[in-house]
Amino acid sequence: MIDNGLLVQMLLGALLGLSVYLPLAAGQLSLATPAFYAVGGTLAALLSTRWRALGATAGGGFPVPSLLLELLLGGLLAGVLALLVGRLVLRLRGIYLAIATIALVEIVRVAILNLPFTGGAIGIFSIPQPFSEASGYLLMALLLLALAGGLCHRLEAMPMGRAMAAIRDDELAAACMGIDTTRVKLTAFVLSAMVAGSSGALAAHFLNTWNARQGSFDVSVTTLAFVILGGSRTWLGPVLGGLLLTALPELLRPVGDVRLVLFGLVILLGPVLAPQGLITPALLERLGGAGREPASREDHP
Amino acid sequence: MIETLLQTLLNGVAGGGVYALVALGYTLVFSVLGVINFAQGALFSLGGYLTFLLMGGRIGVNGALPGWGLPGGLPFPLALLLAAAASGLVGLLVERLAFTPLRRRGADPMLGLITSLGAGVVLVNLLQILMGAEGYAFPQGADALGGLPAALAIGGARIRTIQLLLLLVSAGAVLALPLWLEHSRQGQALRAVAEDPTTAQLLGINSEAMLRLAFFLSGALAGLGGGLIGVSVSLPGPYFGIGYGLKGLAVLVLGGLGSVPGAIAGGLLMGLAEALVPSEASGWRDALAFAILFAVLLLRPGGLLGRRQLEKV
Repeated sequence: MIDNGLLVQMLLGALLGLSVYLPLAAGQLSLATPAFYAVGGTLAALLSTRWRALGATAGGGFPVPSLLLELLLGGLLAGVLALLVGRLVLRLRGIYLAIATIALVEIVRVAILNLPFTGGAIGIFSIPQPFSEASGYLLMALLLLALAGGLCHRLEAMPMGRAMAAIRDDELAAACMGIDTTRVKLTAFVLSAMVAGSSGALAAHFLNTWNARQGSFDVSVTTLAFVILGGSRTWLGPVLGGLLLTALPELLRPVGDVRLVLFGLVILLGPVLAPQGLITPALLERLGGAGREPASREDHP
Repeated sequence: MIETLLQTLLNGVAGGGVYALVALGYTLVFSVLGVINFAQGALFSLGGYLTFLLMGGRIGVNGALPGWGLPGGLPFPLALLLAAAASGLVGLLVERLAFTPLRRRGADPMLGLITSLGAGVVLVNLLQILMGAEGYAFPQGADALGGLPAALAIGGARIRTIQLLLLLVSAGAVLALPLWLEHSRQGQALRAVAEDPTTAQLLGINSEAMLRLAFFLSGALAGLGGGLIGVSVSLPGPYFGIGYGLKGLAVLVLGGLGSVPGAIAGGLLMGLAEALVPSEASGWRDALAFAILFAVLLLRPGGLLGRRQLEKV
């Protein structure tokens, strides 16, 4: 029932969950993850199909080191874009960030649809394959997730992570304590973009074809649902949310296409029924130190 | 040449009127709650589909009940009004499900962004299950408009009657709302709640009822927009309202969050800007609103007519 292909998708879901989690951990609702995912994927699709030096073979093969280079470049390009956009919007109140990130998703989608070299509505296809079987992608996705998860885990113990938590609890108080709130929020936003960009680069190869629909507003909704279900108090929450909510619709397929209704219900009811999501610091503590000591046990929204 | 220009301007103003409707819907809720109702786009879709069904339209082959339709068909003006009212009622439901529980718990109001987005997603996808993803076209011409000619010749330009209607109805709603807010007792009560809910309550104003009124009106404005666009263009699928909802957000920032005249001016500007995009670049038209949004954030974050942002401590 769960084959390697689905496992890769689940891991990509977990990665995108982390991408939404990072700004949220600093109290910023960003819906821009699909834009960065699309940018990373488009870059990888273009490079591997157009740039011969990367070593795509006539038979559709692709060297693994070139793939790693693309993951790096996809992450970097998304990060630079986030830096430019974030500088513009992060000094404003949270509501502007939510709106501006939606705008970014739409601009990127329309650009990929209309640019002369991205293949229009059909997109880019026959993207070369570094692995002949899904297990190779599985390994690669695990590697990415270990990197991103490790980063988030380290972050929770670092001054940057603590500053993010402080801003989330009370931005004004954090600023009064001398935290450079704009810089902290910008860092979280850029890291979020890099995770999404690299994931997009991997997904483009895995899916073999890439078009503007990969980064639509729908993806904002699904990835947000990952975080709401899993919880955004620790990084394990969005990972679990991403894994579960990617697998569930596939397993429910016989019921019919209720995927987005399900995700909508999670987003509508989650913040009311389970404000902290499935994985809470208190739960981790009960399970015996699987996560760090929570900085604060109060039930903040 | 003049005719083309006239046509373009009319297109722009008519489109702008609809954007103003959507943005006013956001503004009503924002001024009372300080948060944006992300379900607005879904209510826009709902208004379009309800107008279609009330006029006697049948569900297509991909819907849940192929071939089903309401018995009989109402004339367009009545169908539009009923659809707007029904969208307003669903707007109340959104308030009940997405905003009330958070308020009761005293949670961060920003969470309303998330829950209302969820409500919108559920609504649009239920519509998709019921009606299918296919597009629907309204009956055009004399039938739909109750005997009016399909097009009028004004100053040499041929102008579709439905477009004039679209312009008149949205202009009517857009002008009536500020007058109502300014001069009627209920409008003044609503503004008092927007200014300070606690003081308004002490003055004997029922804040909760005013809040519900804001959500009803906001949903009705969205439904009105959806019905008008559906009749004048078509219903290209349940997601069509989401696009208008998102562009309405750009209009909102352009005009200044919470400003009624700003929402109207922003809507008109956005409609005109889109109408002036040359047809060779029409694929980029959908990105224009969001490019303008970024320009506004860069140059004038408070919006064209917004108040200066003052953080309350």
